[in-house]
Amino acid sequence: MKSIILMAAVVLLPAMACLSQINNAITETVKVYGNCGMCEDAIEKASNKKKISTTNWSKDSKMAVITYDSKKTTLDAVLKNIALAGYDNQNFLAPDEAYNKLPECCRYDREKKQVAIMIQSVNDTTAPVQNQASHQHGGMNKPAQETNQLKAVFDSYFSLKDALVKTDGSTASLKAKDLQTAINSVKMDKLSMDVHTAWMRVLNDLKEDAEHINGTKDIAHQRDHFMSLSKNIYELIKIAKPAETVYYQFCPMANNGKGANWLSRESGIKNPYYGSQMLACGKTVETISQQQ
Amino acid sequence: MVFYYARLGSINEIFEMVIQKPFCKKLLPLAALLALTISDLPAQPVPGNPGKVVRYDLYVKDTMVNFTGKEKRAIAVNGQIPMPTLTFTEGDTAEIYVHNLLKEETSLHWHGLFLPNKEDGVPNLTQMPIKPGTTHLYRFPVIQHGTHWYHSHSGLQEQIGMYGNFVMLKRREDRTFRKGIDDLPSVPVVLSEWTDYKPENVHRMLHNATDWFALKKNAVQSYAEAAKAGHFKTKLKNEWKRMLAMDVSDVYYDKILMNGKSESVIKEVDGKTLKGGDKLRLRISNGGASSYFWLRYAGGKITVVANDGNDVEPAEVDRLIIAVSETYDIVVTVPADSTAYELLATTEDRTNAGSLYIGNGIRQLISPMPRLKYFEGMKMMNDMMKMNGELDDMGMNMSLNQMDMNVVMYPEITGEEKKKGSHKNEIDMSNDPNRYNANALADIVTLNYAMLKSPEKTTLPDAPVKVLKFELTGNMNRYVWSMDNRVVSEADKILVKKGENLRLIIYNGSMMRHPMHLHGHDFRVLNGHGEYAPLKNIIDIMPMETDTLEFNANVEGDWFFHCHILYHMMSGMGRVFSYQNQQPNPLIPNPRLAQRKLFADDREMHFMFQNDVATNGNDGEMMVQNTRWSIGSEWRLGYNNHHGYETETHIGRYLGKMQWLMPFVGFDWRYRKMGIDEHEKNLFGQTNTKDSRAVISVGINYTLPMLVRFQSEIFTDGIVRLQLMREDIPVTKRLRFAFMVNTDKEYMAGLNYIFTRNFSVRTHYDSDMGFGVGLTFTY
Repeated sequence: MKSIILMAAVVLLPAMACLSQINNAITETVKVYGNCGMCEDAIEKASNKKKISTTNWSKDSKMAVITYDSKKTTLDAVLKNIALAGYDNQNFLAPDEAYNKLPECCRYDREKKQVAIMIQSVNDTTAPVQNQASHQHGGMNKPAQETNQLKAVFDSYFSLKDALVKTDGSTASLKAKDLQTAINSVKMDKLSMDVHTAWMRVLNDLKEDAEHINGTKDIAHQRDHFMSLSKNIYELIKIAKPAETVYYQFCPMANNGKGANWLSRESGIKNPYYGSQMLACGKTVETISQQQ
Repeated sequence: MVFYYARLGSINEIFEMVIQKPFCKKLLPLAALLALTISDLPAQPVPGNPGKVVRYDLYVKDTMVNFTGKEKRAIAVNGQIPMPTLTFTEGDTAEIYVHNLLKEETSLHWHGLFLPNKEDGVPNLTQMPIKPGTTHLYRFPVIQHGTHWYHSHSGLQEQIGMYGNFVMLKRREDRTFRKGIDDLPSVPVVLSEWTDYKPENVHRMLHNATDWFALKKNAVQSYAEAAKAGHFKTKLKNEWKRMLAMDVSDVYYDKILMNGKSESVIKEVDGKTLKGGDKLRLRISNGGASSYFWLRYAGGKITVVANDGNDVEPAEVDRLIIAVSETYDIVVTVPADSTAYELLATTEDRTNAGSLYIGNGIRQLISPMPRLKYFEGMKMMNDMMKMNGELDDMGMNMSLNQMDMNVVMYPEITGEEKKKGSHKNEIDMSNDPNRYNANALADIVTLNYAMLKSPEKTTLPDAPVKVLKFELTGNMNRYVWSMDNRVVSEADKILVKKGENLRLIIYNGSMMRHPMHLHGHDFRVLNGHGEYAPLKNIIDIMPMETDTLEFNANVEGDWFFHCHILYHMMSGMGRVFSYQNQQPNPLIPNPRLAQRKLFADDREMHFMFQNDVATNGNDGEMMVQNTRWSIGSEWRLGYNNHHGYETETHIGRYLGKMQWLMPFVGFDWRYRKMGIDEHEKNLFGQTNTKDSRAVISVGINYTLPMLVRFQSEIFTDGIVRLQLMREDIPVTKRLRFAFMVNTDKEYMAGLNYIFTRNFSVRTHYDSDMGFGVGLTFTY
């Protein structure tokens, strides 16, 4: 019962001086998620509207006291604005985009957000493949096991790449953190000999690049490290063989005209070194798949 | 085998009983409500039982609605907006009784349906209008399936409530029945918009080039705003090329409605509560009068499974734009329990949106679409516009919505607006072939027509092919919309032979996009899928695009082909396809009268009036104009004989596609008391000594670059006058600068501050009357 209205009682406060601005005032207290003083400013700014609504949020109780003109707006409308600013609350979940844009200290735990149930889409063909994969996992198929060991590493690499394509430094930093976690949780003894060797060769560099990308939001700095990161992931994925086809791509303009590579799961070019400035610059130089 | 929908029949008997008793008049609304609840029941699909007659009774009635806090007039059918969803199964016979309880004429058009021409519902073309107080029966066999819709085709009634979904279910045993799609629970959704202004007034304002809607949208794009954004030169070039501020839509709306509400929730379907993992088919039609909508879903990808009522191979996208009057069937998934996911419909200009939440529990929002980068759009238009007003696609051969010039304005595709002076790191993209391709530029997938593929072959029967080429033409400044620079009343019907194949090649040479709709037929859109080209009945054509459509002429009659933006259609943007040697339509007893009434739509004169009461005098103007003609009068009335009184009246006709030139004849009258020996001398040395002067003139008006109006006029007394004038230079969002100089050595300069749609404060200096401050009323 942690996130219900503590006080849903409707109180009219015409006498209070601070509320004299708002007519037909109704005050309600509702849960709004957030962490710090910065959140407080943002939440209150999103929901204060001259003569229409005013909010007072406490970072200790995570409760917002909202007073609004019941003839001009609704509690729902005020809470929607708070959610659009990035803060989950009793009635609304913030758009992911808005949450991801919050400053780091404001990234509260999204306890209200449900984990999506895996579903098959209308023309989805991946489900049988997944079944197959889990079969392999139970069996003695070694390459599959290795892929599973490294899958999280590759997955977070691709998420990081997507963030760079969007020129989104803060998401990139977050994804690099995921990459660090994935790197650290690889059980090396489960890897086959050649993959193990490849892994040891690139491990330190991978760690270092991930750490640098995580440690900054400066997109240029992140992209510098992404070049060597991509090269090392490529060395690794060539040996480990990915579960699905991966494309090794090259943009001749990156790295001040020296060119740079990256890996993608799609054959189409979406350049992580320039983002929307020159998204389509580049070409596929190698296709890596299990069948090779 | 034919039987009546029994329960419905009996209720109608009750209804008839009720209205038979004169003292029961007050019960009428109640009875209408009863009829509504029954009519709203979907007809149950009965397998193996073709030929069922399904009857609906529709009561069209004036109503008052309150969407914004103000009571406004609207039209409800069976007491509701949108009109009830009508559901049939392929093989049924539809019987729809339309009871007109309005004080005006009406009609209903069954959009996208194959039916006999006399059931098509276009007043004065396929039937005479349904008179107030009468009932009209539409009866036709249902010979197709899919999501369609219906709406009034009379005047501007569609804007104020007369739209509804029309669903024809596929039979279970149909060869094309798709398991996992056609058996999903489905919900009809009608999109629409609401404005508190009367639609007649909206139409009139558009024809008078109002900038009030731009002001409401914060899209005036004035010089001050341009300078602030570092785009002063862009604005200057734009006006040099004689363009008014560009926008992606014409009208500002107060509310966006989905099934008549700006926010609503779907918690259950067919009595079953939605939970995580459930899939839902939404049958969406855009019943908006002039708005395109972006559809985006907070719960993940959208799977498009049908378009304009025709199945397409499932296509997964992040978003799609639904053109005015199109329909899309989409499948969405509720990803998790205890959450309702937002389906957001945002107008193309992004000023407003409506939400539909799907699921139960806390509502997961999707981020609103960021504001358009208008000045980037203006820059793009400057590059595309030639000095003569024609568009230049710079060799890009655009079609099928694949290249969207507007991406330059979309922050989510081309990045946030750049701050002034931060152009250093920019890379020149002007030669990139993909610079307008949204799907190549970003990692979100936007639907375009090239992605639509029919699951079945759609090839036409072998027949002679007739090729017709059209150019969509228009002129934003005067709000004239046409095809090949002719409006409906200026063009002949296009004669068609039954059995032949028609191929239409349509180029949009105007500055707005147009959703072109063909009545009574589906056409193939040649989009690279060969035999599997998708079938549609509306095609949205963006500026500079060329699209090719083809269809078999297989049902005789007079079929309307028109732009479905209501205000464009009413301005005459359309044609009529007429089959040769067809049987006369029994519902059109007097074809000549019908044609005259049909043509009256685009011949309508639009009125404007403006008057300024100032400290130094009173001046104003009044105008009525239509597609080609303009009759205008100006007056300047001083407060004494020395200042004088004068009026000028001009009757002119606009020439050419861009309508920059208008020859006119005029009549001037003036009285002014001048002192002895006082006389006026113009730049050419011609003098005028008379106190009172009444003369006739001929002359021309020509719009110069910078939208300055040049007027050259010669009067019957031999005097010549040349004049330069512009009244609406947008200095800031609300401030307009005006000036005038002429060879009579008269001049004027003034500033106008717009307060409301009708009132502004004006200060000006006039060579005759001196300095003045006044209040201007504009209608």
